[in-house]
Formats: sequence, C-alpha cells, structure tokens
Amino acid sequence: MRNEIELEAIIEDYLKGKLTADEHKAFEQLRANDPIVDHKVVAHKVFLESMQQYADILLLKERMDAAHHGIDIAALSDQVRPHPSRIVRIWRNNRSAIAVAASFLILAMVMVISIQNQSKQVGSFEALNREVRQIKSSQNNLIRNINTKVQANAVAPAKFGGSGFAISSNGYILTNYHVIKGADSLYVQNSKGVSFKVKAYYTDPINDIAILKINDLGFENLGTLPYSIKKSSAGIGEQVYTLGYPKDDVVLGDGYVSSKTGLNGDTLAYQVAIPVNPGNSGGPLLDNNGNVVGVINGKEHKTDGAAFAVKSKYIMEALNAIPQDSLSKRVAFGKRSALQGLKRNQQVQKIQDFVFMVKVYN
Amino acid sequence: MSIKLSSSVPTDREVVLGILNNSEEALNKLYTGYFPMVLQFILNNNGDEDDAKDVYQEAIIVLYNKIKSGNFELSSKLKTYLYSVSRRIWLKKLTQMSKKTNNIADFEDVLAIDEDIEAHEHKDMQFDKMKVALESLGEPCKTIIEDFYIHNLSMQDICEKFGYTNTDNAKTQKYKCLQRLKKLFFQS
Repeated sequence: MRNEIELEAIIEDYLKGKLTADEHKAFEQLRANDPIVDHKVVAHKVFLESMQQYADILLLKERMDAAHHGIDIAALSDQVRPHPSRIVRIWRNNRSAIAVAASFLILAMVMVISIQNQSKQVGSFEALNREVRQIKSSQNNLIRNINTKVQANAVAPAKFGGSGFAISSNGYILTNYHVIKGADSLYVQNSKGVSFKVKAYYTDPINDIAILKINDLGFENLGTLPYSIKKSSAGIGEQVYTLGYPKDDVVLGDGYVSSKTGLNGDTLAYQVAIPVNPGNSGGPLLDNNGNVVGVINGKEHKTDGAAFAVKSKYIMEALNAIPQDSLSKRVAFGKRSALQGLKRNQQVQKIQDFVFMVKVYN
Repeated sequence: MSIKLSSSVPTDREVVLGILNNSEEALNKLYTGYFPMVLQFILNNNGDEDDAKDVYQEAIIVLYNKIKSGNFELSSKLKTYLYSVSRRIWLKKLTQMSKKTNNIADFEDVLAIDEDIEAHEHKDMQFDKMKVALESLGEPCKTIIEDFYIHNLSMQDICEKFGYTNTDNAKTQKYKCLQRLKKLFFQS
C-alpha cells in the first residue's frame, strides 16, 4: 500500500516533469523493465490529460458565465427576438439580401437614367438645303464675279438648293418643305442641266414634305417611273442609298438605316448612316430593290454620319392629299419596282433622270 | 440588425492571441461581442435565452479548443465561424428534441465545420465522463481531487483544509480517491 502510494506519487512527478535527471533516468529504467509500471504511467497520463481538459473547460465556463452575467439578456433579447410583425421579421432576416437588391435597383435606375440622357441626341437638326452662296468655292466666286462684270444681265445664281424626285410622269416633284419655304420662285434642274420652272403645289410643314408641279412648256413627259414607294417600313441595317444635288452634278450617297426613329426619337423619320451634305434635302432614299423608303431631310449637327429621312408612309399620305386624276402614271405603292435585281450602277442610271435639283430664289 | 455589434467586438487577431495567452479580458470581449448574434439566431429558431447561452458557450469551447490545439487558421471571420458552429449545434439539439429543423432563419453566412464538430463531440464526451465520475465519487474525495488537480492546491494545503493529522494521511486519502476516480472514469 505504502509502495503503491509512493509509486503513484513518482509517476505523477514524472509526468509533470518534477523529477531530477537521475531520478528520471532511474524511473525510465524501471518503466522499461516493468510493464505494469509502464501501463500505470500511460493510464495516468491519459487521466491527467482528461483532467486537465476538464479543468480548462470548467475554468472557461466559469469565465463565460461571468461574462454572461455582464450582459443585459432581457434587453438584448427584446431587440433580437422575432418581431411580431412579419414584415420586420423578413427585413431582419434578409437585411443583407435586401440591401444588395436595393443597391442593384438604385444602380439600375442610375444606369437607365444615364442611358436615357445619352439617348437624347445632343446635336441639333441641320436642314440640308444648300446655301449656294456660302459653299461656292472662292475660285468659282471669282469667275462668277468676272462674269457678272462682263455680262451685266446674267441670271443671278440660285440662293438655295435642294433635291427632289418625280412622283408622276407628268411633272410632279416631291421635295422637302424646308427647301422651298419662303421661296419667291422655284426651278428644278434635271441631270442633263435643263431647268424648268415649277410652283409649289402642296406643302405639308409637319412632315416636311412639299410637292412641286412643273409649269414649263419645255417639259416633256418623263415616262414610266422606275421606282415604287415602299409601303412597309425599312428595318435597321437595311442597305439604302440616296441621289441628290449637294453640288451641281448628281451625287450618290450609300449607307444603311441606323435607327427607326429620327432626332430625339422622332417617329416620323429614320436615322440613316449616309454621308449627306447641304443640297441632299429632298433626295429620295432607296433600298437595294429600288423602292423609295424615305426622303432625306436633314442631318444631325454634331454627329457624323447621322442623317434623317422622312418615312415613305408620309410620302403616301402627301400623295393621297392631291387629286389622283391630276397625276398621270403616278409612282406606284408597294409594287415590285422595275429596278429590282439590277446592279447599283444600273439603278442609278435609270433613276437619275427622275431626280432633280431644286433651285430656290428669294 | 439594429444592434451595434461592431462597437465592442475585438479584432480576430486579438481574440486568437488573447485565447492563446489565457487572457480573461479577450474572452470577455469575444463573449459579449458575438452573443447577440447567436441569441438572435436561437430566439428566431424555436429557442429561448437559456438555449442561446448553452449553445453559445459550447461554440466558444469549440473555438477555444481549436485555437489551443494550434491548427487554427484565420481562413474565415471568427464571427462566421462562431455562427456556423452555433447553428450546427442548435440544429442538432433541435433534431434531438424532434422539433422541426426546416425553415431555419439565417442571419449570417454559414461555413462547413463538420470536422470541428466531430472533434468537439468526442471531447465533450470525455468532459461528461469526467464530470459524472467526479460526481459519483462523493465527498470528501470529489473536493480533494478537485482541489489538487483543478485548483492546484498542494498536499499541505489540502491536509490543513480537511484537517488531516499529517500529509501522509492526506496523501493516502487522495490516493484512494484517485484510484476510485480512475476506475470510474476508465470503466464508464
């Protein structure tokens, strides 16, 4: 019994590292020789470890209880307990999700607003009637000056110019209202350079459309019109071209429909990506099949390559507004155009006799 | 949550270092810092304040053991870790009480902490075994053993406290108690 107690004490000191080096060595020897002692050491070690852990956790719990005591549990649980109101509960449970959703919503709104702002085109509309005097080259100016000096009675050059195209074979020409607005006298000139006197027959300021009638004895019937007017609207990306008179000869402009609305979302017009210049106003906008899809009437002041065209629908409205019996061999609606399947240069060849320069004097 | 958790919450590093150094202050800060979070979770999931206390203390023990064992890496926030452990422990208790465990209202992210929980359950069993063994030991053995092994009193102190005539008698008594305790502990 005594020995047992001594042994236990030694084992404990051994495990706690309290033995001197010699005692330690002697005990190791004993342990190696005596399996019973060795077993007791192992068992006691396990026990001590468990006891240590037990002690640690007990201490920890004591400390936690102390800390727990310092918390005002009742007040705290009132704050966090499930709120009787369902909405508050949902709010508490999903605060972070709601916060994320809300920030996305705000972000989306900001984006929508900024996109809307962007979509307001900043540029202003620039009507494309040509102020002939302004764009005349200085050299030309000089020559004309000389000419006017020599020929005192020379015809004064037109002050404004635009384009127009025939809508019937007997001399009805469609152009833009803004081209002929405030005109004293109007002339049209065909691709061969022959001028005819015209007068405004019908004007539609809202759609920016005007119809002129040739009142000139020298005018001969134009024959059947090669193009027809497209009934349906053109889609974005559709290849289109225009013929017009930004200078004294007819000029081809090529491009595509870039938007189904015009300036600031104007539904009367298309936006087309075609390089146009003053003088193109009133020119026909044709698709690849030779159907008139619109009338060029302006471009955006600040953006390059954004021109606008009145939709063909409004051309038809204008045509319907004039007595049908006064139009002979009028332009066809929605029919297959005679130009379909022809190459671009052949189409232009056929059309150019029907596209006129509109000269305005005032 | 409208409660300002952040005001009294120590940084994660502070807590880890504090626990490693056995700092009572660090434990206090940790305990009061995250208790509202767990209380909220428990109260919103079929529990009361006492459940919250038990679960939270158990979760802190898990964290404590993990830090003490030395293989704790700050791979996540302590807050998330404590929340995940508490959540797991509470779900387990709910299942044991055969209360429904679906529709758990969560307030934080949840980590996978299966290994830690398993290790904890093993340790918890050891703890309970020791507790049961000590309790069935009876007085004065229980107090002698606790004084010696837990409160680290010397045999001299114990001898005086219990009024043994000499240390040898006290030692003999302690030896007998220890033998019985070991028997209870290892056989249970």
